[in-house]
Amino acid sequence: MSPNSCINLTEVTKVFKLGLFRSKTAVDRLTLEIATGEVVGLLGPNGSGKSTTIKMILGFLKPSEGEILVCGQSAETRIARQFIGYLPENPRFQKFLTGNEILTYYGKLLGLRGIALAKKMDLLFDLVNLNHSRNERVQGYSKGMTQRLAIAQSLLNDPRLLIFDEPMSGLDPLGRIEMRNLIGTIHQENPSSTLFFSSHVLEDVETLCKSVALLQNGKLKTFESVSSLIANESQRYEIVVESPSRDLEMGILAKFPQKCVPLGKSFSVDGIDQLSTILSRLSNAQAKIVSINAQRRKLEEALFRANEGLKTSEAST
Amino acid sequence: MKHALHISWIAVKELIFEKVFYILFSFVGLALLLGMLLGQLTFGEQAKLTLDFMLGAAHLSMVLFSIFMGISLFQRELMMGSVSMLLSKPISRTSFILGKYLGQIMVQAGVILAMTAVIVLSCLRFEDVYYLAIFQALALMFFEICIITAITYFFSVNAGSITAAVASFGFFVLGHYIHSSKNGITDTFVAKETLVALVPNLEVFNLKTFASYGVTISTYELFLSLAYALICMTIFLVAASLTFERKDILT
Repeated sequence: MSPNSCINLTEVTKVFKLGLFRSKTAVDRLTLEIATGEVVGLLGPNGSGKSTTIKMILGFLKPSEGEILVCGQSAETRIARQFIGYLPENPRFQKFLTGNEILTYYGKLLGLRGIALAKKMDLLFDLVNLNHSRNERVQGYSKGMTQRLAIAQSLLNDPRLLIFDEPMSGLDPLGRIEMRNLIGTIHQENPSSTLFFSSHVLEDVETLCKSVALLQNGKLKTFESVSSLIANESQRYEIVVESPSRDLEMGILAKFPQKCVPLGKSFSVDGIDQLSTILSRLSNAQAKIVSINAQRRKLEEALFRANEGLKTSEAST
Repeated sequence: MKHALHISWIAVKELIFEKVFYILFSFVGLALLLGMLLGQLTFGEQAKLTLDFMLGAAHLSMVLFSIFMGISLFQRELMMGSVSMLLSKPISRTSFILGKYLGQIMVQAGVILAMTAVIVLSCLRFEDVYYLAIFQALALMFFEICIITAITYFFSVNAGSITAAVASFGFFVLGHYIHSSKNGITDTFVAKETLVALVPNLEVFNLKTFASYGVTISTYELFLSLAYALICMTIFLVAASLTFERKDILT
C-alpha cells in the first residue's frame, strides 16, 4: 500500500446470502488504490457493485473477504469514519427539523460545539447557498436544496475523503449544473481531499474526474485517467458537403450514415487516414466541402469500447 | 454516551411530530375514558372497578404504544435511509440504538405521567382510594414498558416490522402467563423451561389488582422489581446492539 493512498481495497469480495442454498457475489476480488487528492468516478451499469463497494468503504457492509483501508485505517472502525464525508444517493432528513438544526445535530455528533460549530455552519450555508432558508423546515426544501444540505453535512468535519453516491441523481438540468459547479468548488477549495463518487451521468464524470473506475458484474474492468481513456480513442471528424449530387450520395457517401443539415449533408469519419482518403475522393468528384470539424470522443464511447473489448477478450479466452 | 444523548433528543422530537403518536395518544385517552365509564356501570365497588379498568386500559395502551412507536422509530430510519448519513459519522451503532431507546423512554415517561394525572383526577371523587398503590402500579407499569421497548428494539433489528410487532406482543403475552402457568401453553417440560428462561417474567410488574384494593408493596420489593427490569432491559439492548453492530446496512 502506498503511503499516499486514501482508499485501499485489496482482493475485496462481498457475497450476499439469498437463502439457505443461494448466494450472489456483488463484488468479486476488487483491488483498487486511490491516491490522496484524486477525483475518481465510479462507473458501471446497475447491479455492477458500485453501491456495494461504497457501502463497504463506509463500513455499512462487511466484506466477505479482503481488506479495506481508509486513510490507513480499517474501514470498519470509527476512526476511519472521522476522515469521511458522505452524501447518499437520496439524502433524507427528519422533515420537522430546520436546516440549521440538521447541521447542529450532525455537527454535535462530530464533536463540534459552540462558536466553532456556528462558524463552520455559516461557512457551509454560504458555500451551498442555503443561507436564506437555513431556518426553514427541511420538509419545504426542494430536491436540489436537500441535496445541497446533505453536501453541507458531509463537509462538517473537513473530510479527507468525500464519498458522493450519485450526487446528481434526480436533479433537473439546472440543478445538475449547480451541483457540478459546487463539487468543483469544494475540490478547488480543498485540493488535498479525495473525492470518490459514483454516477450514471458520464458527462459529469468527464467534467469532474481525473480517473475513472469501471465495474461490471462486481469486477474492476478498467481504472485509468479520463484523459488517457479518451486519448486512446481515434479522432472523429464531421464533414459537411453542400447539396451533394445523387451520384455522390449513392457512391462515395453511401457507406456513411448521413444527416441533413441546413447547408447540405453531414457525415462522420474515424481517424486521419480515413479523412484524407475521403477528402481526396470528394475532391476528385468535385464535391463542395462546407466544413470539417474535429469531434472529441466522449467518455461514454471510450468506456463502451473498453467494456466491449474486455467482453471480446473474455469470450476468446 | 454523548452521541446517544444527541440522538435521543432528536428521537423525542421525531416521536412528538409523528402522526402515529397522536393516534396512539388518542387511543390512550379513549381507553381511559372507556375504563372510567365501565366503572360507572357497577352498583357497588365503583372505585375499585373504575381503577381496575383504567389501569388495564393504560397498561394495554402503553404496550401497544411502546411496540408501534419502537418499530416506527427504528425501522423508518432504516427504510428512509437517513441512518446511512448518521452512521457515516464516527459514532457506534450501539449509540444509535441507545439514543433511539432513551428518546422513546423519555416520551413514554411523559405519556405515563399524563395518564397518572388523568387516573388520579378521575379517582378524586372516590373516598376509598389509596394513591400510593396507584403510583406504585404505574411505576412498575413503566418498568415493564421499558422492557417491552427493549424487546421491540431487539426484534426490529433482526426482523421486519410485522414480525417484530408480532414477536414483541408474543413476548408480552408469554411474559405474563408462562411463568405462572402450570400446563396448557406448553406440554413438554423442556419447551416450558426454555420459554421461562428466555421470556422475562412480566407478571412481577403487575400491581393493577393491588392498586384496586389499595395494597402497597415495600420499598425493597420496588427496588427488586427495578433491578429485575434493568437486568432484562440491559440483556435485550445488548443483544440488539450486538446484532446491529454485525448487521449489513443495505439502505
